[in-house]
Amino acid sequence: MTLPEFTLLRPRNLPEAIDSLDRHRGDIQVIAGGTDLVPSLKQRLFAPRYLLDLKPIRDLRGIRNGHGLTIGAMTTVGAIADSPLVAEKFPVLAAAAAAIASPVLRTTGTLGGNLCLDTRCLWYNQSPFWRASCGFCLKKDGKVCHVAPGGEKCWAVFSGDTAPALLALGAEIEIASPRASRRLPLADFYTGDGMARIKLAGDEILTRVHLPESSAGLRGAYFKYRLRGSIDYPLAGVAVALDLAPDGTCRRGALAVTALNPKPQLIPGAEAALRGSRLSDDLLDRLAELTNRAIKPLSTSASTPDYRRHIARVFVRRAVRQAWQA
Amino acid sequence: MPETAPGFAVIGKSAPMLDGKARVSGLAVYTADMTLPGMLYGKVLHSTVPHARIVRIDTSRAGALPGVHAVVVGNEFPNRYGILPIGHDEAAIAVDKVRYIGDNVAAVAADTEAIADEALRLVQVEYAPLRAWFDAEESMRAERDLIHDDRPHNIEKHYSHNFGDVDTAFARAHLVREDRFRCPAVTHAAMEPHATLAAMQIDGGITVWSSTQVPYYLQRTIANVLEMPESAVRVIKPAVGGGFGGKSEVCPLEVIAAMLSKKCGRPVRITYSREEVFFTHRGRPSQIVDLKTGVDRDGKILAVAAATIQDGGAFCGYGPVTVLYSGNLLAGIYQIENLRYDGFRVLTNKPSCGAMRGHGTVNMRFAFESQLDMIASQLGIDPVEMRRRNLLKPPCFTVNNLRVTSYGFPECIDRVVEASGWRERKGKMPRGRGLGVAGSHYVTGAANPINRSDMPHSSVTLKADRDGAFTIYSGASDIGQGCDVMQVMIVAEVLGVDPSRVRLVAADTGTTPVDLGSYSSRVTFMCGNAAKRAAEELKKEIYRVSAEAQKASGKPIPQNFDEALRLALEASGVIVAHGHYAPPEAARGGHFKGAGVGPSPSYSYSAQVAEVVVDEETGEVRIEKIWAAHDCGRALNPVAVEGQVIGSVSMGLGQALQEEMIWRNGFLMNPGLLEYRSPASCDAASPDIESFIVESIDPEGPFGAKEASEGSLAASIPAVANAIYDAVGVRIMELPLTPEKILRALKQKKKAAA
Repeated sequence: MTLPEFTLLRPRNLPEAIDSLDRHRGDIQVIAGGTDLVPSLKQRLFAPRYLLDLKPIRDLRGIRNGHGLTIGAMTTVGAIADSPLVAEKFPVLAAAAAAIASPVLRTTGTLGGNLCLDTRCLWYNQSPFWRASCGFCLKKDGKVCHVAPGGEKCWAVFSGDTAPALLALGAEIEIASPRASRRLPLADFYTGDGMARIKLAGDEILTRVHLPESSAGLRGAYFKYRLRGSIDYPLAGVAVALDLAPDGTCRRGALAVTALNPKPQLIPGAEAALRGSRLSDDLLDRLAELTNRAIKPLSTSASTPDYRRHIARVFVRRAVRQAWQA
Repeated sequence: MPETAPGFAVIGKSAPMLDGKARVSGLAVYTADMTLPGMLYGKVLHSTVPHARIVRIDTSRAGALPGVHAVVVGNEFPNRYGILPIGHDEAAIAVDKVRYIGDNVAAVAADTEAIADEALRLVQVEYAPLRAWFDAEESMRAERDLIHDDRPHNIEKHYSHNFGDVDTAFARAHLVREDRFRCPAVTHAAMEPHATLAAMQIDGGITVWSSTQVPYYLQRTIANVLEMPESAVRVIKPAVGGGFGGKSEVCPLEVIAAMLSKKCGRPVRITYSREEVFFTHRGRPSQIVDLKTGVDRDGKILAVAAATIQDGGAFCGYGPVTVLYSGNLLAGIYQIENLRYDGFRVLTNKPSCGAMRGHGTVNMRFAFESQLDMIASQLGIDPVEMRRRNLLKPPCFTVNNLRVTSYGFPECIDRVVEASGWRERKGKMPRGRGLGVAGSHYVTGAANPINRSDMPHSSVTLKADRDGAFTIYSGASDIGQGCDVMQVMIVAEVLGVDPSRVRLVAADTGTTPVDLGSYSSRVTFMCGNAAKRAAEELKKEIYRVSAEAQKASGKPIPQNFDEALRLALEASGVIVAHGHYAPPEAARGGHFKGAGVGPSPSYSYSAQVAEVVVDEETGEVRIEKIWAAHDCGRALNPVAVEGQVIGSVSMGLGQALQEEMIWRNGFLMNPGLLEYRSPASCDAASPDIESFIVESIDPEGPFGAKEASEGSLAASIPAVANAIYDAVGVRIMELPLTPEKILRALKQKKKAAA
């Protein structure tokens, strides 16, 4: 399969980048690491006239320690996985970054790209010939959802690994915009719709991720279900971050999941369940049940919805226990 | 360990592949790397419907696109072909109807790939849909909308065999088990996608470079389709990045590239996308096995009745061979005196299946070795003991007339039992951890050629020339398995020279004598014997010519080989000798219908022990270790044998745990390496594999060598299934052995116990 023809724009700075996005609006797309975008371009899921390469903008790279941690969107997930600073302050993020794809892909894929990842579905991530043979689908060129026929909603699943870790840590993101740059909780970035998955206008760029100092040093764990030991996107992912008092009581904690819904998300009620609790089977069961209520895996991937529900529950128990006992 | 086998100078000493350095440094030239002046890019339009008559194809707009030099549709080259003489049912481009999503409808050759893609978008095809058949059992009930009009009920082939007195044996059995096993389709996933470069020559001939395991069959097929004499078709096999059976019959792109080149007179190269490789498939069929085995009180097998349905996809391909291997080879590893077999090969509207490593035997072996364990468990017999009680007693002929000459299977069992600590550890491991054993076997080439004749299956020409080097001309196709260096080693050993003096010209129908191809693990035995005979002949000839020359001039007869060579070359300029191999009559099998497939000059054997850990909460399996012993007759090149054994096991573990072609409503959901999960290096399915070479020294193999590349695959799968049973007490009878299936079985077991 060949790439569609496009012009690669290489802006020197952020204003130039925003300007290009504005000028070619509707016909331009941002490329970060490209590990997900390039295969999608070959499959003609996108065919923009212009690709805007953020690599030349040095500002967008690097991990800055200060009050909390600021990570540029173009920092590779490999750099995050290998950073002693991240490992020390935010172990759950280090674990999630290290679980992505393979070493080679991690040296290319970026944090921003991982957070803006397109949603995935077996009926969508296919060649034009393949998609034509099934009459296309709701997400691209068609009118039917093959996963939930009759429905109006796209259930393609968000499959980034870093998002649940960052959600559990209460991360915020910074977005550059021709109007006013803004900063918002990562949790508010995702829509839950498989099609318009993120709240990012065509002329905006995700530039930075801020990790709050208040989350530094939280115990954490990331559990990823996949069929292969590497390469695979998660079929279910569970991240947990915990602040424990010296007596083992949880002062504060959060639980988030990925690859089970069209968006990565915090598990509602988990924070309240964790606060002031001690580790017990009852607590783990409660968290598993809260997770079970929050997710809706469908047949978008090779693993069945039932099994992904099961593994999500098991991984919630294991992740919380491991983080607690770490 | 000695560097070479005792008494040998070269044989038994590990040697790298001749092009090993080129391959690992990126210098090896594969077909997709090649370009020629004026070369065009070919692309194929694929059917988006599974079963339909083609009402109309309009290629006028595609043909008018600037940069397009040829457009071809099926009715321009309607001659049918197929790998088997009984199955000439394919055209590279569909002639009147399409039979699967992905079938070939038209092709173009253009200046660039982008123009070719654009041209394909301009081709308009009108289809009249027919009912599509996706399930083999349903397809067998078809009355209308048949996939091929001359195949009633979509049954490609049905074989029915009955040896001994099966019913009487079942009647006196102490225990009879009947079980159904299911295996989904799996595919080869060779690293190199298929690619072909075809170039019409100014003299009217055509030269084709292709990623193939079978240059000589490709030559025949192109001659047939293009209606040219075979002598005008030259096929050259460049470096090939793996085949595993997927390139052992002619694939559509090979013929289409030739069609396009013939039409426009320019070289045309087609490289398949990975998706196209999946739709070309030719892999292991989805298969249902109904297996019935009866044993006496001591576990001795009295009778076996197997019935199987293979979902073969849209064309015949190797189908009848696959279904016959499944049945006939049942008799080749354990003593079975009463054997019944019913094998159906069924057509469906899916990509055609074909040969894949362990051809025909793998799914049947999963069923057989699983059931053998189930019986052992019911009788309270140790699984290893169960197997030892049912060994063949070679030299012998099996009940269906397979001739078994060498049989290292008992030693294979001994080796893995010892290495794995079976006796000390089995049954004493913590819950969740288990050991499983299984055996397997495979042919060392087919004793009967695909196109029946008494001609040699392999011929080798060997030339001695004035530079002191020896050149082997051999049709054998090295596809990564190392048969090039194997021939060099054999020739060097026979001549008593350093291997650096032996050169090889291989797999070029324009210059090398016929070798049938790299399939059914035939090359070491057949081409190896031909090379050995050629070298023996050459040596004799060198001494004869030099002696005659010396006698004529009254000088002493030379005693030293190099001296004799110098004198012989002085006398005659060049010395050439030939060697051939055809299997002996006694190895060619019986006379019943379907007797031709299964007979082999020799059989290889493997025994394996798997150690697994099962997570009972998730159903996930981690394979801790595989001990694999393989009887390869004699290891000519030990590192190559070990590589093949480890590779076979690894491929088997992929099928055991995670590989499957996933079909939903007739759509192949995972036509790519992201979603088709061949094991990666850090997988549960990529454990430490310890290989053991067992040398039974085959009486007819070159220096005693026989099969090494396929026979170890089949044992890996049941060894893991049996180990899972040992670990957690559940028996999974459908591949792959996924966490979900294991979890379901654990839940059912818990429920039954409650």
